[in-house]
Amino acid sequence: MSDGLKIVVLIKQVPDTSSAAGVNPDGTVDRARAKKMMNPFDKFALQKALESRRDHGGEIVAISMGPPPAIEVLNEALEYGADKGYLLSDRRLAASDTLATAYALFKTIEWIGGVDLVFTGLQTTDGDTAQTGPQIAERMGLAQVTYTETMKITGRTIRASRIIDGGLQHVELQMPALITVANSASKLEYKTFANVYKFKELARDPKALEGRVRAIDLDVIGANAARVGLVGSPTVVGKTWKLGEKGGTCKIFKGDAPAHEAQLLAGALAADGQGMEELLK
Amino acid sequence: MTIEYDVALVGASPSNLTLAHRLVDLADRPIRIAILEKAREIGGHLLSGAVSNPRVISKLFPDWDHSDFPLEGVCRESFLTVASHRRWESVDRLFMPPYFKKEGYAIINISDMAAYMAKKLAEKAAAKPGVVVDMFPGFPARGVVFEGEGVAGVKVDDTGKPEDDILRAKVTVFGDKGFVSRDLIKKFNLRKNPQLYSVGVKEVWETPKSYQGKVWHTLGYPLMTGHLGGGFIYGCKDNRLIIGMVMALDYANPNIRPPQVLQEFKRHPNVQDMIRGGKLLKYGAAILPEGGYYSLPEKFAVDGAMLVGDALGTLDLKRFSGVDKAMESGYVAAEVIWEAYTRGRFNAETLGVYQRRLMEGWVGRELADSRYYREVFNDYPELLDSFIPRIIEGVNSGKSVWYAAMQAGLADIGGAFRLLGARKKMENPSDGMPPAKHTEDRLHIDPAFKAPPRDMPPDPAPNTVYSTADVVFYAHTHYEEGNRHIDEFDAKVCDKCIAQYDAAGKDTPCVGDCTAEVHQTLEKGGKRRHAMALENCVQCTTCEIVCPPVNLRVNAAFHGFGPNFMGL
Repeated sequence: MSDGLKIVVLIKQVPDTSSAAGVNPDGTVDRARAKKMMNPFDKFALQKALESRRDHGGEIVAISMGPPPAIEVLNEALEYGADKGYLLSDRRLAASDTLATAYALFKTIEWIGGVDLVFTGLQTTDGDTAQTGPQIAERMGLAQVTYTETMKITGRTIRASRIIDGGLQHVELQMPALITVANSASKLEYKTFANVYKFKELARDPKALEGRVRAIDLDVIGANAARVGLVGSPTVVGKTWKLGEKGGTCKIFKGDAPAHEAQLLAGALAADGQGMEELLK
Repeated sequence: MTIEYDVALVGASPSNLTLAHRLVDLADRPIRIAILEKAREIGGHLLSGAVSNPRVISKLFPDWDHSDFPLEGVCRESFLTVASHRRWESVDRLFMPPYFKKEGYAIINISDMAAYMAKKLAEKAAAKPGVVVDMFPGFPARGVVFEGEGVAGVKVDDTGKPEDDILRAKVTVFGDKGFVSRDLIKKFNLRKNPQLYSVGVKEVWETPKSYQGKVWHTLGYPLMTGHLGGGFIYGCKDNRLIIGMVMALDYANPNIRPPQVLQEFKRHPNVQDMIRGGKLLKYGAAILPEGGYYSLPEKFAVDGAMLVGDALGTLDLKRFSGVDKAMESGYVAAEVIWEAYTRGRFNAETLGVYQRRLMEGWVGRELADSRYYREVFNDYPELLDSFIPRIIEGVNSGKSVWYAAMQAGLADIGGAFRLLGARKKMENPSDGMPPAKHTEDRLHIDPAFKAPPRDMPPDPAPNTVYSTADVVFYAHTHYEEGNRHIDEFDAKVCDKCIAQYDAAGKDTPCVGDCTAEVHQTLEKGGKRRHAMALENCVQCTTCEIVCPPVNLRVNAAFHGFGPNFMGL
């Protein structure tokens, strides 16, 4: 592999959880009005992609699916250091569930061709299913590791460890492969001034920018429109509801000194049967 | 990597954003401008009152009062109010000093204004071919690059390795609050008379009633006798209310506790009437460089660099005029930069024109006219120690301010005559008086300070007054690992300072004056040591100003870390 790895990283733009903008009274989100951000889980996928390229060379292609403004999230990926970005954007994709989304993304990766590694985050903060990554791997017939904590590449072989209940499971697999990256896998690096500057320079020339980041539609990737969008999505959302606000009363323990107050609190908890007897001993 | 622009602006301050606007307006040929900003988004670290004379805002945005400009309101009614712990009385308009009359002024949150200015700037630049304005929020300047007799640019942080990225420019303009510009001022020994500071703390409330367009400036409670400062309350749109306190730091008390002074202000019955049943939205703190005329640097520009706004120190305490003068300094600087750009020379001579032009204009005239205002409070201690307290006493017993002032004057006729002289010096100084001499704020601090007795208002309504720990939560600070942005030079120096203040039964000034519960003394190995909860820090730099042994330095935090002052 003299050219290094061809790495795809999947990134989604999600509503910014630190902002209440665009949240409707019924609890649904108006995505057009909401403040947006890169899905925080995907930052770890991007980080792993950057690390893999640093160690083994190659190219990082970021892929996202969403409405035209979501191209911002790919621009951001370039600021972090990705080489290219494709936004799959098509009205016919609206209301796609994870099955339809996985199909569309699989067709995009296939269209790019020659991919060695696909990195995804564990899940998104808006859908929270953690299904799309594994579904893509199944569609493509790729080996996959989910909840990946560590990985080491030697030639075409990947040795990885994934988080399971009670410990780590060590696996070995061959490229091409899909990896969903755990949040504990890496320490995130920040954008560098130089990279942000380079992207600004690139963005000044619309032609040059389009050579690096552009939107594509279903026809470009040759996907079957009947398998995406509402018609291609078997998932039915039966009902949504808002969680009620938690009630409760507040009790303040006043004592002579902090230690005394702690005693009062612990005593009250013990009396409440909260298992504080052990702690008090 | 070394990155080059024509103009580098340090800090997306009102001054630098005005500068960029004016420069883009003037540009009839290509020019490249970079703006560095430590906050995650433009405006995120900016905090001011603010009721501002719209004289510069209207130059940039002629339709400011009927457009999408983020105006909180236009002042319709302004009051100068004297507060005791249970009453307050406003000064009759007839006797109100003209500079307290704010009718027609713009009520703004400068964080929102800066975000708006940045947005408009990007649009303006995009419409001019060859004119480039690149904004870098989240990337502070971390040091000055000196070259020859001047400045070649700034170091930009890059993942904790400041040596990595350098921004070079033909001219670098410093509009920061001292994080970087102090190095420049020190290197060229520009400031002969030290800067003086106040610390300001501010909350934004949502209240049951609207007070839009009303402006109060208060004297007296909750400040201790002898402490220069005051409260401010500005009515904003959407039932929001700005409540704040400004306190001078050249005060003997080592434990001012600014956030608690603000809580005490909110306990005043008149403030309680406004906020009862309301909701606290945001909290923040910032310093005000208020030395004024005599704290201005000897030179406003050196080869390749200029100082504007707070880096220069254009705040006029007498008129409460900070934002407009800072913006004007940027406006004038832009014109000088454009001339220098046209001539292709950026030395102390071409850039120095800025100093003359700024000082000959209204900024210089007004600063000169206020030049003794700050000094008078130190020269005539009886003003804060007895005269104003006597007026407050009068107000407390039900008198009008005018009557209370008369009584206070009659109680000490000799003193009253002396104060007439002070008033002349403040309002209309004659020529030929010696320049004011400032001593650094930290030198005024006295560990043996005894707090004068003080009355407190009745207990406040629930959920209107907070502990410092609780109120800091409303500054919405965000930090991740590796956020050591305050340097402590020598732990032994801190130990000694702590021992000295412990013996006096006080907290050290860094602890006692901190606006965000950052500085603490913790018991460690049988000894009390200095510790910092940096995740609370709102980057106000008060600790650095009041540290008696000059042992702390606040640096610009990187990666956009820090408070979120949007809407403050």
